[in-house]
Amino acid sequence: MTKNKSNDLPHDLLKEDVQASRDRLVSGFLQQLAWAIGSILLALVIAGLLMLALGFDPFSAYFNLLRGALSNPDQILWRATPLIFTGLAVALAFKTGLFNIGAEGQLHIGAMVAAVIGAYIALPIVIHPIVAILVAAIAGGLWGLIAGLLKAYRGAHEVVTTIMLNYIAIIITQWLASGPLMDLTPVNPFPQTYPILPTAALPKLLTSNFVHMGFILALLTILAVAYFLNKTVLGFEMRAVGFNPTAAETAGINSKRTLALSLGISGGIAGLAGASEVLGTFGRFVAGFSPGYGFDGITVAVLGNNSPWGVLFGALFLGLLRAGSISMQVTAQVPIEMIGVIQGLIILFVAAPRLIIWLADKGNIYAQWIEADWKKATPIFLTTVMGLIIGFAAFGIGTTQLLLLTSLATQSLILGLPLVASLIAVDLIFIFILGIIGLAAFISLMRGNMWGTILTLVVAIALPIIVIATPLMLSGLGPIFTSLGISPTPFLIQWNNWRIPLGVVGIIGIAVSLASFYLMRWKGVVVGGVI
Amino acid sequence: MQAGQIDILLLVGIIGYTTLIAATPLILAALGGMFSERSGVVNIALEGMMLMGALMGAVGSYFTGNPWIGIFYAIIVGGLMGLIHGLVSVKLKGNQIVSGTGIIIFAAGFTTVMLWVVWGQKGVSDPVIPIPEIVIPPLLGVPILGPMFGSQSPLVYIMFALIPICWFVLYRTSFGLRLRAAGEDPSTLDSAGVNVETVRMIAVILSGCLAGLAGAYLSIGFGSSFSRNMVAGRGFIALAALIFGNWTPFGVLIAGLFFGFLDGLKIAIQVTPALGFLYPFNLWLRMIPYLGVIIALGIIRRSVPPKAIGVPYIKERGV
Repeated sequence: MTKNKSNDLPHDLLKEDVQASRDRLVSGFLQQLAWAIGSILLALVIAGLLMLALGFDPFSAYFNLLRGALSNPDQILWRATPLIFTGLAVALAFKTGLFNIGAEGQLHIGAMVAAVIGAYIALPIVIHPIVAILVAAIAGGLWGLIAGLLKAYRGAHEVVTTIMLNYIAIIITQWLASGPLMDLTPVNPFPQTYPILPTAALPKLLTSNFVHMGFILALLTILAVAYFLNKTVLGFEMRAVGFNPTAAETAGINSKRTLALSLGISGGIAGLAGASEVLGTFGRFVAGFSPGYGFDGITVAVLGNNSPWGVLFGALFLGLLRAGSISMQVTAQVPIEMIGVIQGLIILFVAAPRLIIWLADKGNIYAQWIEADWKKATPIFLTTVMGLIIGFAAFGIGTTQLLLLTSLATQSLILGLPLVASLIAVDLIFIFILGIIGLAAFISLMRGNMWGTILTLVVAIALPIIVIATPLMLSGLGPIFTSLGISPTPFLIQWNNWRIPLGVVGIIGIAVSLASFYLMRWKGVVVGGVI
Repeated sequence: MQAGQIDILLLVGIIGYTTLIAATPLILAALGGMFSERSGVVNIALEGMMLMGALMGAVGSYFTGNPWIGIFYAIIVGGLMGLIHGLVSVKLKGNQIVSGTGIIIFAAGFTTVMLWVVWGQKGVSDPVIPIPEIVIPPLLGVPILGPMFGSQSPLVYIMFALIPICWFVLYRTSFGLRLRAAGEDPSTLDSAGVNVETVRMIAVILSGCLAGLAGAYLSIGFGSSFSRNMVAGRGFIALAALIFGNWTPFGVLIAGLFFGFLDGLKIAIQVTPALGFLYPFNLWLRMIPYLGVIIALGIIRRSVPPKAIGVPYIKERGV
């Protein structure tokens, strides 16, 4: 068989071009932005799939998230304010090679100190918040310095010590707010301290608006940190230690002192976050006021590639997520905690830069393949994309239909109708949809070689069998469970929960058919067959 | 017994019991961390893996009515988390600590979402069937051993059995040798013809399985429900136990028992009426294990971590 150029794809052809475009990609600011945005998009897609599998509607979720955030743009800035501080704190420590996951604790200490100074010390109008913020920063800094000293002089891993200090700080502040400093007057489920004096409050930027002076302070802190890292001796030393501790030590930098100071300064910035929240938003210390700003700071720093201006980008993005999350929960009924899932996924994707490079390479290869041999490439490409869309859409319809049928199923249970009948009704929809997927895959692959056809057939036939067999088997097993003394009631009563196992089966089905697509195409191309 | 007078034997027995129940998840997770870290992969994701294990343990027990299936689910989901951590930090050469943090944040969000999906609430799950305890009637009357082992979860015995098994795997099998070599000197292992990445992947997945088991102990071994963020830093205490135990199975046992003792004190005080004068300090008692970890890490001599820990192994640079 003569091997012509197009049949060698995607492995040999155009390697230089791919290399060149990769070089373009890996250099400079644009690459970092692409990296961050790519990670965000990937995370949103995966989180969307998870939502589908759990029976939520991801389109409605994302739509309402965006609508909620954009209809209140001031909320984005307001929510981003503490995240800028904590993000800067994490990023600054990271520049020294330290991983400060203790921003949460440092923030609590800073908040409590600011609340105490705001409530108990009388000072004139402008000086009062400044003093409160400064002392809060020092307190947060000292809290961070504990971990820094332990790291520098005792070699204690900062990840462990900062987390432990988080718990300690949260317990101490909670104790203060529910004991010695507790304000008993208002009816409030959370322990809280007395309100700060009006002189200490950070003014709002505009009336009837959430954004307060803390946001300006945050922007100034970005400038200060950028200046500190790039233009001062200590900043340079910190970056040197982060880059290579041994070399820095050889060059005469006291790396221990630098490490300790780094966590101290980082803690100080995190303390600012607490102070700005107390003085600008809450007006007092309320236990549990932070929905994990310290941990959000990690996402922000990771997303911003630990650069001060990147932190601003990351904080604004996360502020957008947080601002829209309420609307997402109320309208799309997706729990707010889904934001945490998205954040975790973003961090995982940013942590794996090679994944993005790999994906970009793939995209390049496909693009050049289509360019080089569009007659063969286009149908394959289109069927794959269509198969994907149909697969996921069908999956979404399947889960929502299932949700509607759950009430019917429960009613039929109450009316004494046969269980199996309603089960089959539910399953028929699933089978129908999976049949469409299988058919689409089958038609597209019929034109290929034997392997692809067989694989597709296996997928198309096996999946419905699995889907129909699982509930039937389980309902058939019900009496057996009972005779064994194990209660099957959670299975038989909680119809609502059926969507989880079914969703998992569906996800596996999509994965398997995708894999067969891929294997098929790869086989076809490499062996030299025409799909 | 008169008020104010403390039955020492009973108190020792109760403290022994709370030490065991608090130490079991720590030791299980730390053993998991040991496999991962000895192979050269930092695993701060233990916390997240435990949380997922705790959730899936409860979910499995809830849906099937059989807590052992819950344990199975927990081990599988822990291994899956380990797989993700391995893919990101071993295969894709990502930063291991960043990857671990990602898993922790993911797990914290995902478990709460699942609480809402399965049980319709965000705080605590419905009660699920826990693993039945092994009761040894003749021991029940014995002073100190009675409270400790008279009626104890089988997972505690499994934990004790796993320590020599882990020691054997780590020091007496070729897999263990390769695993340790991957953590100390991966390039030598590579030149010996062993795939460093595969060894590390297996180690991280194994680590996740053990952490998942540790999490399941929290939800269906000791307790009988899953609650939000129920791991409460135990994954990190397990990491501290691993460091304190110098990355060896028996060191992990001792360190884990020590931290378990600190963690269990508050339960011991709650169930001992004679120590009632300590009740108002409940919040402070919760702080004991966290403070203990910091003090312990502060006073130990520098322990020696595996040499290649935290560094992704890159076989050759360039394409």
